[in-house]
Amino acid sequence: MNSLTPTQRDRGLERLRRLTFGATAGALVAVVGVGYVAAASYAGKSSTNASATAANTTTSTTTTDSSSNSSSSSSSSSLQAAPQAPTTGSSGSGTVTSGGS
Amino acid sequence: MIAALRSWKALGTSVHVLATEADALAPASTAVREVLEDVDRAYSRFREDSELSRLNATPGRTVRVSPLLATAIGAAQRAARLTDGAVDPTIGHAIRVAGYDEDFSLVAAKGPQQEVKLRAWRVPGWQAIRFDPQSRTVLLPAGVELDLGSTGKALAADLAARTALAAAGVGGVLVSLGGDIAMAGTPPSGGWRIRIAEDSRVSPDADGEVICLPAGGVATSSTTIRRWMRGAAVLHHIIDPQTSLPATGPFRTVTVAAATCLDANIASTAAIVRGEAAIDWLLSCHLPARLVENDGTIHYIGRWPDPSGLAA
Repeated sequence: MNSLTPTQRDRGLERLRRLTFGATAGALVAVVGVGYVAAASYAGKSSTNASATAANTTTSTTTTDSSSNSSSSSSSSSLQAAPQAPTTGSSGSGTVTSGGS
Repeated sequence: MIAALRSWKALGTSVHVLATEADALAPASTAVREVLEDVDRAYSRFREDSELSRLNATPGRTVRVSPLLATAIGAAQRAARLTDGAVDPTIGHAIRVAGYDEDFSLVAAKGPQQEVKLRAWRVPGWQAIRFDPQSRTVLLPAGVELDLGSTGKALAADLAARTALAAAGVGGVLVSLGGDIAMAGTPPSGGWRIRIAEDSRVSPDADGEVICLPAGGVATSSTTIRRWMRGAAVLHHIIDPQTSLPATGPFRTVTVAAATCLDANIASTAAIVRGEAAIDWLLSCHLPARLVENDGTIHYIGRWPDPSGLAA
């Protein structure tokens, strides 16, 4: 096996550096490209916690009178679930009817 | 233990106020009356002198509105945005054309002898409303007419409950406006009992499903109530913005529980309009709901309690 001259070794190393740089740059471009396509294809799904956070950070649509009390519900970015789910009515009191009107 | 209940008529429907403390009922009821009078003046569609009627009568002009009407318009726009337009306040013209152009007692009384010409067309859409919540200014383009009836009543229930609690100063209150229910303050032990029915006039003591909730709101939308006839057509008040005609989906009654009466009402109304897609949509919203198909089949969605123990 022939030994390399210093000049040949330097050229080889330079070639290796170019190949490494090219592969890294190509991989980065691929990651960004595939990520963009994925983000554009699927808008995602908000979780309940995310919605609650958004609700707490939005601003009121009104400034005065009793109507301002509704600000949290009238400006939140998703429909908000009750703090507790309904249960069957074996307990509780004060019955009223919810129905069409 | 519930100490007191007071009932009367307002906004064309029944009003019930419950309070956990006997001394709180009078100030709570007074506060509710005042809120409902404000609501009637601000956004009744059947009063020529209401702010909403004057706004609808002045298309193409920028109008500064009261905080209450601004809140109601903001709530209606939010409802439209969150339901992809299934609950849209620009159905005003469509519902008038369908014959619901005055207090409902008068609408129903006219009967089938009065004809209406119905045709399918898409309503202008909520994006047509030029509304700035900061300055409280509204501009309705020509041909855009607002009806805040759906979200407006539920918003009124929320406002009334909160104002009533502030006036009572103690305990908890529940306000029901024609079956749209809002709760505020400390609930009774075990929560508020709510009878679920197609018609809010059904007695709370009648047999049927009852749920308990400590807070938030419950609303029911139904195509079986507030119906009228024009010619051979049977019409109702839940308009599909895609067609400007009464919704014709598979569900006749939907009840939803949510953090507020407003959100419950938005979801129940949207479910009627969305039809078959309603179940998946309600599940995606994480809202417990009860849906009744036109043939009477009942679906329990999410964390809504199923009496048979076989929840969806």
